[in-house]
Amino acid sequence: MKKKTWSFFMICVLALSAVLAGCGGGSESEDGKKTITVWAMGEEGKKLSKLAEEFEKENTDIKVKVQAIPWETAHDKLLTAVASKNGPDVLQLGTTWVPEFADAGALLDLTPYLEDYPDFKPENYFAGSADSMTYDDQVVGIPWYIDTRVLYYRTDLLKEAGYDQAPATWDEMKDAATKLNDRGDDVYGLDIDRNDQITPFIFAWQNGYEFEGKDKMNFDSPEFKEAMEYYTSYFKEGISPTTEGMDIVQAFKDGVKPMFFSGPWMINIINDQAPDLKDKWAVAVMPKKERNTSSMGGANFSVFHNSENVDESLKFISYVNEVDTQMEWLEMSNTLPSRKEAWEEPKLKDDPLLSVFGEQLKSTKASPQIKEFEKIAQEFLSTIERVTVGNADLDKELEQFNKKAQEMVEE
Amino acid sequence: MGNGFKFNKNNKHPYVFIAPAVIILTVFSIIPIIVAFFISFTDLDLKGLADWSNISFIGLENYSKLITDDLFHKSIINTLFYVVIGVPLVIIFSLGIALLLNYGTSSLFKVFRGVYYMPSITNIIAVAVIWGFLYNTEYGLFNYLLSLVDVDKIPWLGEPTIAKLSLIVLAVWKGIGINMIIFLAALQGIPKSYYEAAEMDGANRLQVLFNVTIPLLRYATFFVTITTLIGWLQFFEEPFVMTNGGPLDGTISMALFIYKKGFQFSEFGYAAAGSFILFIFIIMITLFQFKLRKSDTEY
Repeated sequence: MKKKTWSFFMICVLALSAVLAGCGGGSESEDGKKTITVWAMGEEGKKLSKLAEEFEKENTDIKVKVQAIPWETAHDKLLTAVASKNGPDVLQLGTTWVPEFADAGALLDLTPYLEDYPDFKPENYFAGSADSMTYDDQVVGIPWYIDTRVLYYRTDLLKEAGYDQAPATWDEMKDAATKLNDRGDDVYGLDIDRNDQITPFIFAWQNGYEFEGKDKMNFDSPEFKEAMEYYTSYFKEGISPTTEGMDIVQAFKDGVKPMFFSGPWMINIINDQAPDLKDKWAVAVMPKKERNTSSMGGANFSVFHNSENVDESLKFISYVNEVDTQMEWLEMSNTLPSRKEAWEEPKLKDDPLLSVFGEQLKSTKASPQIKEFEKIAQEFLSTIERVTVGNADLDKELEQFNKKAQEMVEE
Repeated sequence: MGNGFKFNKNNKHPYVFIAPAVIILTVFSIIPIIVAFFISFTDLDLKGLADWSNISFIGLENYSKLITDDLFHKSIINTLFYVVIGVPLVIIFSLGIALLLNYGTSSLFKVFRGVYYMPSITNIIAVAVIWGFLYNTEYGLFNYLLSLVDVDKIPWLGEPTIAKLSLIVLAVWKGIGINMIIFLAALQGIPKSYYEAAEMDGANRLQVLFNVTIPLLRYATFFVTITTLIGWLQFFEEPFVMTNGGPLDGTISMALFIYKKGFQFSEFGYAAAGSFILFIFIIMITLFQFKLRKSDTEY
């Protein structure tokens, strides 16, 4: 009797542990083929399997399993992978996440392999994205696609305000936005997304601000402060709305928000959702103060630190990053190719909209490559919100923020 | 495993029956709680997760930092705001609706039972999308209705205090269903003879309600109060999907604060310390409730 009880008890335990062990994946070689797992995020993840099929045709000894992970859960999933040491072979990583995961040692150092894959050398990529390839002198990722912010504007409305061209300097920008704002009660001049953590930094960079590492973040520099005064003035003067909930495409179409900053993905969204706007809008490079810097974002491909199929993984990354594949990917997903060479192709060079992005890419910066940046940026968004929405004093808030940022990096 | 329990012939069967529940509870609740307790004294972050040699013991530092963290203070105040307003509302509404639904047994009442229960079993994401549209400042139904009677737009989720109240409305609407079912079950468990006796004594409806029904619902009310309180102290889903803690950190709750620290910034040690403070809050308030409870009367 006693035995029976215990065996039942043990069966329960075993059943439970079997359930728990059911998570995880690996690379089993079936019929001599090597299998690599690729994690890709968002919309790209869903489409990447098409490229993977083409890759399999060329490399019959490799199988590629693509897992699409929604952006919302991607960060949690990566944390789990790091903790359980059970990750994919290849992972797509947003450039802002690189420092955090590189710092945890989750990404394989690709330096020894650069000789065999000349395509991976930093000089193939724009300066801003080459910055995101390295962490602590290790090469931890290869830029796959990039994005940068430009100015979207309504050509017809700006003409009415007396601008045949997009505003090219800060002063013109302010002037144009003010005039557009004065058209009526419920319209604005320029839309600034208050939840976008990189926009304030874009303003700061344009004003000559430099982030020079943990010991010199320069948040107390006059360049930074002046840029923030400019940034917040749009909200204080009512040129930019502080309320949320307006659909940007709809507002762009109605002329409520005739100008805004955004990335390449907006081109298709506007074309699809507001087709009757055709020929009434354009994009332009950022307005200039000291320089017309914009942000450099996008995603890299990295190899997980304990992958057993490094060679196969690199083959896959190398295939995806060929200029031809990148051009094909541009057709498929409308994301901008990271290879400089691709921008010589007529499709990018001669397209009235995309060529503007090509122009802007010559003047970009990546977000500061320290693992605390996410925290600092979130803290900064709260700080700026207190000024724009809560009417707090900018100088005091900046002082507070600078103190907090120092504490964050010292920990 | 081995000789932890002393079995004799007569009392081992119950253990077999509760074993699955106990094992699951141990693996998924008790062990994690103990682990979290230890983690709260360390500086565990992503680096520490990847390689345990990077974890160091820092004593009470997490706790002392929490005590001076403005955002944590804010999250405590917000959580109390949610609890003080939300919990009474849930109890009053679910009891009221249960009493109304108890008056009849026709199919109409059955339909309404379903109607009130529906929000509790609706996926929070679907709820968030729909309520997001209702609350939308520019295109939302609520502001549209207000505009018909010439009232200005209200920033339902754009002003800290209004946003808190908006979330409470949503959470109350979502929380009524399950508690209403509990009250209904309790109402149907009240013996008819009490009502007959009250009728003979010539009590009117209100007197019956306050002198018979509500006192006899004491068990159900106690249960609902405890579970609702604990639920609201862990208020998380609504601010997470609707506002993400904004505007001006006006809707951040303790649970959301813990989540953000842990999973957005990977400060697991700090987050564990926060969760322990929340745990102590919940334990204290629950014990206090048990203390308040009068001794049971038999009926």
